[in-house]
Amino acid sequence: MPNPATVRRGTPRTPLLVLFALVFLLLSSAFAQDLSDMSWDDIVTQAKAEGEVTWYVWYLQDDLRRAVRAFEEEYGIRVRIPEGTMAGNADKLFAESGRSVGDIDVFAWGFDLYATVELPALFQPLTMLPVDDDRVNVINDVDGGEYVLAYWGNQSGIVYDPEHVAEADLPQHPEDFAAFWNANPGRFGFNYESGGSGPSFYQNVLRVLSGLDFSDGSADSERLAALRPGFDFFNASAAQYVITTSNADNIIRVSDRELWLAPAWEDHLAGLQSRGEVRPELKFYIPQMGMNGGGNGVAIPNNAPRPAAAAVFVNWLTSAETQTMFNRDFGTAPMHALADDTFALVPIEQRAFQVAAAAQPFRDQMVAAFIDEVILER
Amino acid sequence: MTRRRWFVVPLLLAPGLGLILALVGSVVVIAIGQSFGLFSIFGGGAFSLEPWSETLDRRVYWRSVRYSLQVGVVSAFASVALAYPLALWLRKPFQGAAFIGAVLKAPLLVHGLVAAFLYVNVISYHGIFNQFMQAIGVWDGPRRLQNDPGAVGVYILQTWKNMPFALLLLTGAVRSISDDVLDAARDLGAGTWARFRRIVLPLTTSVMQAALVIIYIGALADFSFQVIAGPINRMSLSQLMVFFKDRGDWHAAAVVGVTLMVLALAGAAVLTLFIQLIGRGWPRR
Repeated sequence: MPNPATVRRGTPRTPLLVLFALVFLLLSSAFAQDLSDMSWDDIVTQAKAEGEVTWYVWYLQDDLRRAVRAFEEEYGIRVRIPEGTMAGNADKLFAESGRSVGDIDVFAWGFDLYATVELPALFQPLTMLPVDDDRVNVINDVDGGEYVLAYWGNQSGIVYDPEHVAEADLPQHPEDFAAFWNANPGRFGFNYESGGSGPSFYQNVLRVLSGLDFSDGSADSERLAALRPGFDFFNASAAQYVITTSNADNIIRVSDRELWLAPAWEDHLAGLQSRGEVRPELKFYIPQMGMNGGGNGVAIPNNAPRPAAAAVFVNWLTSAETQTMFNRDFGTAPMHALADDTFALVPIEQRAFQVAAAAQPFRDQMVAAFIDEVILER
Repeated sequence: MTRRRWFVVPLLLAPGLGLILALVGSVVVIAIGQSFGLFSIFGGGAFSLEPWSETLDRRVYWRSVRYSLQVGVVSAFASVALAYPLALWLRKPFQGAAFIGAVLKAPLLVHGLVAAFLYVNVISYHGIFNQFMQAIGVWDGPRRLQNDPGAVGVYILQTWKNMPFALLLLTGAVRSISDDVLDAARDLGAGTWARFRRIVLPLTTSVMQAALVIIYIGALADFSFQVIAGPINRMSLSQLMVFFKDRGDWHAAAVVGVTLMVLALAGAAVLTLFIQLIGRGWPRR
């Protein structure tokens, strides 16, 4: 028989729990209300009441946690940045898109990837933000429309050690790279996975040597066959270059004087240099054959649990001041027309060599073919 | 059995067996289903042989299968082979034996990821090992040892990590062999190798078999050592699974996952059979 005392102690908790649940549900529904008919001041007030915002971003989480302290101090809203990979965060976004209230307030993704989904089905229009025409919502012909804003401009290129390679001798085209490999065996390395800088290098070599239009995403056998001269190009000099393991490995091995040239992201290199983790004298350039550039964008999921805080955070993230700070601290290309870009690693004229990443599904097929035809042949 | 018993027996087994079947079975069923196009992460999905036919058609898949099997088998045998002499050495207590045993088992406490990074630091282009080899005049200049194509780094790390586990199991088994048996063998003229082959090995077969199988399964599914220190011209099956998953190809990733499970099961069965067959022949030789 149950102890009556136990039963008595347990009974009053039940209504309390129900009350908490009701309050939580009411608050959730209040927060989830449409922000478009609210003034910006009201949105900021509601954001402060929400008190917290969760930003799903897949890289430099520790550094970004430090960077968002300025926002936390200004608004009194805590920013949580969970650990996670880009693919993992995207899987979570898709998997919980059917829930009425999800976990993600602000979602970061490679800007070109937004073109692969139906934006209104996943994200809220950002029309609640104060009007600012200097923000960026189009990168490499991918239009984020009302739903996505760019917050991080990045550019892949080549990091080099000026102790060993003079600026005038930097390879600019595929044949220059082949000449460099043969003249300096084992001094050039690139990754084919774990980061996009190496893939940007080999895919642009394939683009130049095949003459294909990479903005066309169709992946028929004829287009894939056209990549053959590029595969032969890499196989002919296979012993002269090194395959590395990641973006970071590229930069570290150049800094360690093992390699002289390697693909890298401009912001990645700038961040490592500013933190003193690699040699400050390393330099960066974009070869004339072109390498991928673009950026990352943020959007607010339709089921964001704290939409007002998310809106205030996106407004801060895409402001000229924050973009200037990102340029200074991370070496990013600012995504606001009025931001200062004096800390960029490359002169403005080299930006002309920026190209868009190959369109899907062609890109995935090209990666698979490159692994089969070049990497497995080593 | 009465009808009532047919009902009661499964009911009594349900709390234990049911939990195991629910937890383990659901994972296996989902993985197998996903490999056939079902249970799509984005909802829906339909039965199809396409994920299997497409994945089995890839060179990268077959190279991963061969490579992972190689890592699993070599690591298991190398770990056990190294553990045996150490276990025999530590069989009889001597001053400092406990300390040496503890030091030898220390790698069990170090996560594989930490060990792999440490290893890469040591063998890097300007790392301690390269500097040492140049200092003693063996090498003229630094050599590129990182991500060696022969996967020597992976074998070293696997053996370093798994040998203590084999040692842990074998030490107990070797210590349980009576001195009288070994002394009798010695009196009858058996040398060190004969005593090991005819007495120690047969009496520790079951423990060695357990060590081999457990290490094989772990090494077969290696991810961390391979990603950091492994060769770049091939992927382990776990690495390939993550590679497919990161590209959003969950069905191909499931095919690789199911392959890993099948190879773990089949490999364990083959190893068990092999050891039992060999074991039967030991005393007669």
